Amino acid sequence: MVNGFSPATLQEALEIRARHSVTPYAGGTDLMINPDPDAVYLFVNHIPEMKQIEQRGDQLHLGAACTYTQLLEHPLTPAILKAAIDLIAAPAIRNEGTIGGNIANGSAKADSVLIFFVADASLKLNSQSAERIIPIRDFYRERKQLDLRPDELITEIILPTKWLDHYYYKKVGARKALAISRVVFAGLLTWQDDVIAHCATAFGAVSGVVLRCPELDALLIGKTRSEAQAAKAGYLAAFGDMIAPIQGRVSAEYRKEVCLNLLTDFLTSNGI
Amino acid sequence: MMPISQSVIKKDHLAKACGQAMYVADYDTTQMLQGLILRSPHAHAKILSMTYPPLPEGYFTVDYRDVPGINEVHIVKDDTPVYADATVEYIGDPIMMLVGPDERELERLLAQIEVNYELLPAIIDVRDGDTAFFDYHFGKGDMDQAWAEADQIFEECFETGYQEQAYLEPQGLIADYNQGKITVRGSMQCPYYVHGALAKALGLTPDKVRVIQDVTGGGFGGKEDYPSILACQVAVAAYKAKGQPVRVIFGRREDMEFTSKRHPSRCTYKAAVKNGRVTALDADVIFNAGAYTTLSAVVLQRGIIAASGVYDIPALKVHGAAIKTNTVPNGAYRGFGAPQTFFAVEMLMEHIANALDEEPLAFKLRHMVRQGSVTSTGGRYHFPVPLPAMVDEVRKMSDFEQKRQVYARQQTGTTRRGIGISLWFHGAGFTGSGERDIIKAVTRLHKLADGRVEILASQSDIGQGIKTTLCKIVANELNLPLDQVSYDNPDTDRVPDSGPTVASRSLMTVGELLRRAAIRLRSQWQEGVEQTVEEHFKEPDFVIPFYIDKFQGDAYPTYAWGVCAVEVAVDTLTGVNEITGTWASFDVGTPIDLNIVIGQMEGGLLQGLGYASMEQLAADQKGRIRNHSFSDYIIPTAMDVPLMKVQLHVEAYPDGPYGAKGAGELPLVGAAPAYMSALEQALAGPINHIPFSAEDALKLIRQSRRA
Amino acid sequence: MNQGIVFKLNGQPVSYTGSAADRLLDVLRQTYRLTGVKCGCNEGECGACSVLIDGHLANSCMVAMGRVENCEVTTIEGYSQTERFQVLEQAYAAVSAVQCGYCIPGMILASECVLARHPHPSETEIRLGLSGNLCRCTGYNAIVKAIQIAAEKGEGLW
Repeated sequence: MVNGFSPATLQEALEIRARHSVTPYAGGTDLMINPDPDAVYLFVNHIPEMKQIEQRGDQLHLGAACTYTQLLEHPLTPAILKAAIDLIAAPAIRNEGTIGGNIANGSAKADSVLIFFVADASLKLNSQSAERIIPIRDFYRERKQLDLRPDELITEIILPTKWLDHYYYKKVGARKALAISRVVFAGLLTWQDDVIAHCATAFGAVSGVVLRCPELDALLIGKTRSEAQAAKAGYLAAFGDMIAPIQGRVSAEYRKEVCLNLLTDFLTSNGI
Repeated sequence: MMPISQSVIKKDHLAKACGQAMYVADYDTTQMLQGLILRSPHAHAKILSMTYPPLPEGYFTVDYRDVPGINEVHIVKDDTPVYADATVEYIGDPIMMLVGPDERELERLLAQIEVNYELLPAIIDVRDGDTAFFDYHFGKGDMDQAWAEADQIFEECFETGYQEQAYLEPQGLIADYNQGKITVRGSMQCPYYVHGALAKALGLTPDKVRVIQDVTGGGFGGKEDYPSILACQVAVAAYKAKGQPVRVIFGRREDMEFTSKRHPSRCTYKAAVKNGRVTALDADVIFNAGAYTTLSAVVLQRGIIAASGVYDIPALKVHGAAIKTNTVPNGAYRGFGAPQTFFAVEMLMEHIANALDEEPLAFKLRHMVRQGSVTSTGGRYHFPVPLPAMVDEVRKMSDFEQKRQVYARQQTGTTRRGIGISLWFHGAGFTGSGERDIIKAVTRLHKLADGRVEILASQSDIGQGIKTTLCKIVANELNLPLDQVSYDNPDTDRVPDSGPTVASRSLMTVGELLRRAAIRLRSQWQEGVEQTVEEHFKEPDFVIPFYIDKFQGDAYPTYAWGVCAVEVAVDTLTGVNEITGTWASFDVGTPIDLNIVIGQMEGGLLQGLGYASMEQLAADQKGRIRNHSFSDYIIPTAMDVPLMKVQLHVEAYPDGPYGAKGAGELPLVGAAPAYMSALEQALAGPINHIPFSAEDALKLIRQSRRA
Repeated sequence: MNQGIVFKLNGQPVSYTGSAADRLLDVLRQTYRLTGVKCGCNEGECGACSVLIDGHLANSCMVAMGRVENCEVTTIEGYSQTERFQVLEQAYAAVSAVQCGYCIPGMILASECVLARHPHPSETEIRLGLSGNLCRCTGYNAIVKAIQIAAEKGEGLW
């Protein structure tokens, strides 16, 4: 085809990626907003290896070219990811848009990416010659700056599922559907034997990349309820220092206030 | 329900449903040239020089020097240039058009045009404005006495924002100049407005100008005056192209950024209260007109005439001004100035009632006008005012009292609820004597030899169903099946000027003319013969003549009425609110088609709710409109107001066809104050501006927490 | 050698020899003259350009031609030849759900997808299914009602 490649296998796709200057096209829903008419696309939307969904032990392997709709309808998709996808755009976009594309777009407003952050997911990146697996937090260097080499494709998202059952998720958009996040928050907290076995939080749409501070969440891990209650003020204050939102269509002050309200509510809803 | 109200399948239904209806962008473009407009990047500047790049064959430029007639767009006052000559007055002011066959090439070339500007001081904030395009004063009663005797004086300023019509089909026109005649076709509400503008700009006699409306994908006022401007620009290009049609279709960004919007307003109200009753009202109404006058005069007139709302207030002093700023010119949008003043007066009444510790609805009911009451302009409410009955209907539908009481109690948790109600009217048809003195509508019925009848009028079906309702009226009077009566999209070569498609006038005024024409045709009916009858507008006898210089008389012959309740739930963590229910009763007289009227009411109501909340649009400090896409200018989706119940209350108007009054604009006009009243109850604090955002709500929550 | 992008358009096999980066929307409207597919925003925010790709709703402005290779693309022109369309069209007619009409071809295809997924849809399922298709005229109630009528009248079709 003119200005495009449509490989049938991952191997073929990686060969093209190595040899040509191409833009990977998964769902197109970000690329086509302001498309470069001279772009040469590498269509990866139907490559079988990139569409698989497979649980291996504690890890869920999601092919990067899985569409939102595919995940929404799949029995292995964790509820927290479904909750996020449910509020992404609208059906037509969810039918085309992919999780790999959402990651590659590099936006801190990407709702599925937030879930991958809070879950401490890793990405599998493949080139013709190598494969590497890196934590998603390392992949995003800063706003729109990704650790992706010109010959690589994001092929898989590896999602640890152990801590995903007890979640809190809230998105603030300008309307009830078809909305871009103004603030989006996800939290995970699991009690085991009356102590907090796991706590993870992530904030989207407040800074250049999703904000995830495991060192702060660690303040609560291993604590009993009363210890956590005692640590609560310090925990919130530490996040208060950390959250320095961007000014956009809504003010930085609003974003920060909502973040802290949601963080507080997340703790309250967990009895802290 | 009258038989005429029974719904039929709309005349344009099938063509639209199966995608065959031809909108202007749908014509084959292979033989057409495309036009791209170069716009000012500065809010105010003098154009010192322009340098055009060398153009490939088949490409040419069009600017003010190419205007064969007068470089003015005829609207009301003709200060809008076809193309800017000496100065540019807002960001987006059209300077010239580049015309050629290929759009990408046009974009490339347009970027190479060099314009040297000398920057001039620009007024962006209306409060800095020093030019009043229009400045009106009127009043009634003894203000001084009311003020002197008042127990309490209330004063408050209310602000409303822009609203973008956001019709789904962007603006677009095609112009063709052939054998000394210009033809312009496309998306528009008012073919004869465009016709008049073209004659002036091209310096042609009316017979050398032809305007055809194509299927139009929504207007809401946005295609009232703007197509006149675009038509002149495209027509001048076609005039220069000599024989090849030129087409301009806006993208969403160009449409949102540079076409007319609802006027932002600042209304400062003072009220005198004695013995629990408002005895005087002083309203100072400021509209941000933008850079040119366009329709600001008439929008402001309608706005200030509604300044005292549905309330009978003995003394009234109204000042209205449309202030020039170096921003995009504002124009018509469904409601035409009235949503701004109704927001102010409804919220004011709420706030006074709250201060007097009286339930706002009861307070409003005590002040309401009734049949025979004097209007703000010394006219009369000639017909029954059905508001009390409508309020009862809405109370019942919404379970208003019960909810209002429950939500008034101290609320805890992260969800706060509230319910509010608003009352309003919409003056039916043109303001003042416009219909009699300016429009002078003419319609014709043309009967073919085979007995089929064609309506000849200049009304545009922009979705409101006028094709169907006009045909229903004529078919009904002639006892013909509906498919024997036709109404094509107007073509000024074929139809008389029955006036523009604005002011909720088409059905009430033109529909009545056609009804009378049909009665005459019936009485003269001859089998097998072609016949034509013509009908001219005549003002009803009961109307007290209106004088615009004094704002005295009947501004409208009659009124449509609206009552709406809105219930909300606010999330105190985020400030985001959800509309949990909307219930409304509307009186637009006899519905000529029940489905069509309900569709108008529901659609208009949703626009009004959007206006109050999510539809945020602002110019930045430089005067640039920032919200110019559907991802940034947020309109409601199917998810946003799932529960909306509308019912009709019929108070027939004797001078409208079968009792019909104006309908289209009514539902939008007073939706915002009901919504804000509900939010006030939920948030336990006063609201005096729209759009009201989640951020505003969170601020109010913080304040009431402190208090 | 350019074999073109082969796909099925409204049931007919076609081969598009232009760029794989071209927008499906533009190609449908300009090359194939299927102007029932409307352009409202060009950025996937309004749904006026909705088409079906292999039976799924898609915004054709958000799709590059290379993506539809070997796929089945259905526009309103093709869909309007079906029995399901007739049921939907009559349901839309019964409640006068068509006003300006610009969103309607997309809205009808979105309706098809609602019913294909939920033959007996709840009101929420309908509203969710329409949530990417903006309509500025109706307030959506009539369209929701039309789908409910179609579900009833078209019993067994979906």
